[in-house]
Amino acid sequence: MRVLESWVSDPLSRFLTESAARVVLLMTSSGQVVAQHGFTRSVDVMSAAALGAGIMASTGEIARIMGSPRFGALVHQGSDQGMLLAGFDTPRGRWIGLVVYGPETSLGLVQLFFQQFTDEIAAAAPPEESRGPVLAENFEHELNASLRALFGR
Amino acid sequence: MNPHASVLKRVSAVRGVRGAMLVSAPDGLVVAEALMDDVDGRAIAALAAALAARLRRAAGSAGLGSPCVIHLRGEAGALLAVPAGEELLLVAVGDRETNLGLARLELLEAARSIR
Amino acid sequence: MNDDVRTLTRQLADDPASLAFLDLAELLRRRGQLDAALTVAANGLGRYGDLADAHALHARILAERGDGDAAFDGWMSALQLDASHQGAHRGLGFLYYRSGDLPRALRHLEFAAQAAPGDGGLRAAIERVRAAAAAPAPAPESSRAALLPTSRATPFSLDEESGNPAEAEVFAGLDGARDGLLLLDQHGLRLGGGIRDEDGADVSDTVAAHLAGISREAARAARLLGLGEWQSVGVECDDGNAHLVAPTAETILLTVRDVSVPAGRLGLIADRAAQAARRWLEGLA
Repeated sequence: MRVLESWVSDPLSRFLTESAARVVLLMTSSGQVVAQHGFTRSVDVMSAAALGAGIMASTGEIARIMGSPRFGALVHQGSDQGMLLAGFDTPRGRWIGLVVYGPETSLGLVQLFFQQFTDEIAAAAPPEESRGPVLAENFEHELNASLRALFGR
Repeated sequence: MNPHASVLKRVSAVRGVRGAMLVSAPDGLVVAEALMDDVDGRAIAALAAALAARLRRAAGSAGLGSPCVIHLRGEAGALLAVPAGEELLLVAVGDRETNLGLARLELLEAARSIR
Repeated sequence: MNDDVRTLTRQLADDPASLAFLDLAELLRRRGQLDAALTVAANGLGRYGDLADAHALHARILAERGDGDAAFDGWMSALQLDASHQGAHRGLGFLYYRSGDLPRALRHLEFAAQAAPGDGGLRAAIERVRAAAAAPAPAPESSRAALLPTSRATPFSLDEESGNPAEAEVFAGLDGARDGLLLLDQHGLRLGGGIRDEDGADVSDTVAAHLAGISREAARAARLLGLGEWQSVGVECDDGNAHLVAPTAETILLTVRDVSVPAGRLGLIADRAAQAARRWLEGLA
């Protein structure tokens, strides 16, 4: 498990233990990665984050067109694995969780402990520090630093 | 009207039972429920299904066949689960005063009516 | 009434808590006065419920009166208190032999012979059982409903004796010690006992692996559902019943019996076995 911010670590660790999820990716609604577990390549993380954020944005738009409240979660069940994609509010803004699980657990357990996880995140988030304007070179530097933190390299 | 409502109502009428529900066994999701206010149906569904799945595998490996009744007993109450077909699980949660024998019989009868 | 009976009767009358009831009941039994023997033995057992000899004697009298089931329970109780009780092993050997369960009969008789190597009668009984076991009789279909009047776990196969004496000792003397009682740790590794399936195959390691973490699962469910500390899990199945308890925080005990043993009774059997497991684990520490 790799996290960008240490206060995410304990809640995420508990979620992984209780849910027995195989892969977890936490990102902001704009696709910026916050934490990950189970990925082996940075490229996969970036792709998954971008796609996940895109899917949530698309389904949010569909809900808007239908005049429906925002969809909380999306579930895909494959023959071997399932995936939960869920948005949740945190003191740091809207985040998205992407969870992949196998037959050793169940959607019910994943959802149950994901709810617990989001409650813990909301309670654990420290006040956000103010940041300066984001410049292109800063962005790249931050991205590389994030990747190093997420992959321990 | 939920087709399983009357079945769940009978089970939840047993003394001590705080809730009865029908659960999708593979997913651990709620199909139908009859619960008291303070009872977390999602948790019951997920945890009962997980326990049942693990016990089904263990029972199979021990040559015992398929589970018909699962009974988790705690200091302050009990959970009873009875498979109702391949993919459904009938679950009841009760307190310390629960008439477990009657709850078990009602669950078995209910499972037969659902299959 | 001869002098011995009179003397013992007076002794018991003067001091009802005396252990003279053992000698008196035995004497009455040998004289064929089984009703009187049973009364004396039962009264004594009421005072000395922790005395293996009292249980064994009571069981012996019950067996002679034709109550095999009660005798079985009595001898099992004796073994709970003293796993090497010669009389109890002898009695159980007799019951198993009478019911046709020769491997179990032999096992109990051999246990008894260890404590009494000079007992010619016991040696003769062992030879008789071995001869009967070697005779080419057609084998009945193996089934979880064994041949005893009350069903027990599947017959034990002597061909697969465990080479580890420590493993055999966990549930020594308890019915199902190697095919209906399984002690495992939290990681799904077997600590003692064994489980066999309907075909007699040892499935202990597979079952143990499937049960890895079951206590954690049960504890979690009990906690999150407001059931308090978990105490047991009972499973009634098509072909048998199972019961899970945690003798210690780090171990799990699985007790398995055929469907004729109801869930409530299975729980009592499991509790006894859990006590034996705790004693054994304490001895290892």
